[in-house]
Amino acid sequence: MIQTARRNLSIYGSIFAMIPKVFMAYQLWFWIGLVLNVISMAILVYFWRAIYNETSTISGLGLGQTLTYILLAFIFMPLTSNDLIWEFGSNLREGTIIHHLLRPINFQGMNYAQMLGGLVTRLILQVPMAVIAVLLFGLRFPTDLVTWLAFMVSALLGFTVMFFFNWLLACLTFYTTEIWGLGVLIDGMTFFLSGALVPLVMMPEWVRTIVLSIPFAQALAVPVGLLTGITPLTDAPRVWLIQLLWILGLWVASTLFFRVAVRKITVQGG
Amino acid sequence: MPVIEVKELTKVFKIPKKEPGLGGAVKGLFRPQYENKLAVNGINFKLEPGEIVGYIGVNGAGKSTTIKMLTGVLMPTSGTIKVLGRDPHRQRVENARDIGVVFGQRTQLWWDLALIESLNLIAKIYDVHPVKYRLMLDKFTETLELDELLKTPVRNMSLGQKMRSELAAALIHEPQVVYLDEPTIGLDLIVKERIRDFIKAECISKGMTVILTTHDLGDIEELCQRVIIIDDGRIIYDGPIETIKKQFGKFREITFETVEDVKGLDLPKGSELLSTEDHKVQIRFDRTVSSASRVAGMVMKQIEVRDFSLSEPELSDIVKQIYNGALEREV
Repeated sequence: MIQTARRNLSIYGSIFAMIPKVFMAYQLWFWIGLVLNVISMAILVYFWRAIYNETSTISGLGLGQTLTYILLAFIFMPLTSNDLIWEFGSNLREGTIIHHLLRPINFQGMNYAQMLGGLVTRLILQVPMAVIAVLLFGLRFPTDLVTWLAFMVSALLGFTVMFFFNWLLACLTFYTTEIWGLGVLIDGMTFFLSGALVPLVMMPEWVRTIVLSIPFAQALAVPVGLLTGITPLTDAPRVWLIQLLWILGLWVASTLFFRVAVRKITVQGG
Repeated sequence: MPVIEVKELTKVFKIPKKEPGLGGAVKGLFRPQYENKLAVNGINFKLEPGEIVGYIGVNGAGKSTTIKMLTGVLMPTSGTIKVLGRDPHRQRVENARDIGVVFGQRTQLWWDLALIESLNLIAKIYDVHPVKYRLMLDKFTETLELDELLKTPVRNMSLGQKMRSELAAALIHEPQVVYLDEPTIGLDLIVKERIRDFIKAECISKGMTVILTTHDLGDIEELCQRVIIIDDGRIIYDGPIETIKKQFGKFREITFETVEDVKGLDLPKGSELLSTEDHKVQIRFDRTVSSASRVAGMVMKQIEVRDFSLSEPELSDIVKQIYNGALEREV
């Protein structure tokens, strides 16, 4: 039992470790991405500064607090990445999904390890952005260890919520041979609905209700809320519990949907 | 006990029927019509341990569909499959541990990773002991000449390099059952030869049970003692390759390109004129009765020949002839 667990862990560990190497295959993209990110970050910062010209607080948040939130959300954006849809899409298009199904390991577990590897790699690649945010835009990271711990637990849970949610969406690619449209649509929705553009507290009541009843915000606005102190630390256990419930529900739903969707391959031959 | 046992295996695909034109497309959105396509139609066969069987047939005959069902990724419509005593579809993951698969048209390697990274990962997934893995890797590197490829990402490989890598990836865990779906497709003679040698050394000598599909009769002749021929979803021949070779290896065809049009020709015994058109004359002869030099000599005495070529019978011709009952009639 323990031996199987250890072996599985080592397999998933290897899959996880493979991802940074895949990323490094495209070094040029890293530099292009960095330049584009600096520009986007500058636009966001000047946008918010312009808004705060008229007023000193919005929904109880001062300029400093809002900028901290926006910059941190920007840096931790990889938490919301939805590579799964593209992964499924290219697997289906090239027919390589058959080989993945023929591996003697859990398909979902294998993908989770891959996505987690992608997350960690992306976060490491965000370090230059963090440095730029500190130097150019005066970002100050929290120094409290407990805050960081609360954030990290919530970030991992939130990432997992998005993994299962994206898994559900990715299963749609079994039915629509179109991948690009779906991928871009989800990218755009994620950007707004995860709270990367506007702090949740600033949204009108009804928008916030919608945003909190779909999973996107769990991956970014919720953990970054803890990190910036917009959500008090005492709320952390409640936040985690909600995220756990999301995971439970989406895990069941995504597993069931996959079981049906994969019949497209196993029954119809792809 | 047989390693693979297939009984009354059938696969029906439901294919959406599209009517032509915009009207048809709209109609298809609301009330899709389906057509049933019988891809595999009640086939039976058994493979004993260590057997290596050539599974052949023309495109669309149902070869790949059968292979996919045997591996477990495709669910049969009816009939049963037992591979090493398991149902490969229901027990896909357990089954996967004991099989090796090469699909000639798609890759199982990670596109952006150097080959060695892919192999390391695969060895891990299949739980190959590190010492054993070292040994296998060294041997594969030698026999498949992977030296320079190990550090190359798959996306930068040529077709032949990719196929050598695929074989290494499929066999590194020494599976008991191996499915090779067109492993020599599109390769030049030298690479083909190397791959055949590798299959001999790694599969046959280790007693693996192998099913090989191919369009290349050379693969079959060199590797298999037994062939199964499938056409239109049915097995039309299952038996030793010797019978087929005797039957169809007997005939050869010579095509002459002539300066003038030809009306009639005197030919040696055991040969017949197939066609004459546009300065081209096609002659078939029985190798056991006549010979190429005798036929060519006699033809050249009668007419001016610009060029000529000798061809072996095509697989599709053989399949066609067997389908028309040629084998039963003449054996």
